[in-house]
Amino acid sequence: MTEEELIKLSQSGDRKALSELVKKYEKTVYNFAFKICRDKERAEHTMQETFLSMVKSIGQFEGKSKLSTWLYTVITNHCLMAARTGKKHEWNSLDDEIDIFEEKNISSWNVDPEKVFEDNELKEQLDKAISKLPTDYRIVFLLRDVEGLSTAETGEIANLSVPAVKSRLHRARIFLREELNKVLQYEA
Amino acid sequence: MKLKEIKCKKVIDFLCDNIEIDFDKECCEKIKNHVHECEMCKKYFDTLKITAKCYQNYNVDLSKESHQKLINKLGLEE
Repeated sequence: MTEEELIKLSQSGDRKALSELVKKYEKTVYNFAFKICRDKERAEHTMQETFLSMVKSIGQFEGKSKLSTWLYTVITNHCLMAARTGKKHEWNSLDDEIDIFEEKNISSWNVDPEKVFEDNELKEQLDKAISKLPTDYRIVFLLRDVEGLSTAETGEIANLSVPAVKSRLHRARIFLREELNKVLQYEA
Repeated sequence: MKLKEIKCKKVIDFLCDNIEIDFDKECCEKIKNHVHECEMCKKYFDTLKITAKCYQNYNVDLSKESHQKLINKLGLEE
């Protein structure tokens, strides 16, 4: 059954179809929520809230955008809201000019990205680095570079113009590379 | 010591906007040649790509217990 058919059935009250939609997207939703908040418990809570929202609003879903886009938007709004009410200084913007052109900041890294899943130390370093990135920059980086969405889709989800997405992405990439460079660089 | 060549700054700026670029298909000769010849820019570009790749490959499993809690919370059946 296609996704469109599942949505139509769900809208007419078919609980099995709704369950199929949940199963189809639960891993994506959970992972994206985790990637933003870097905490499994909070990711689980966000996943539950996202699907509660979906169940409640599926009747109004008009199919103007993809269901996945709609789910990413719900997760994004939930995490932005949590960040705004959180105690951390999440809303500091990045420094205007990170000095990326120091020679000492440019070196090779001793890391294999294909082995991330088995390297707990690297996971910790990745968590630490991205946790320093303000939530709105983090979301743009994750949507574009990790989830592989287009600039336009990212803008739609994060409620940003295309130039604003590009600017945040540019700075988020520099910032994360810089943070990881501090712990992963080595001299050959 | 700061890199003296202004070209590196411009190239790195360009690379930060275009990490998914295919040099052979989409890039002007100037940038392509510079990255091939400049060790600094090549290292910078490689580490930019590694950064994205690491985060792409860092996924978490949804446990059966979490899945079941979700289904129960939504009042759905398997």
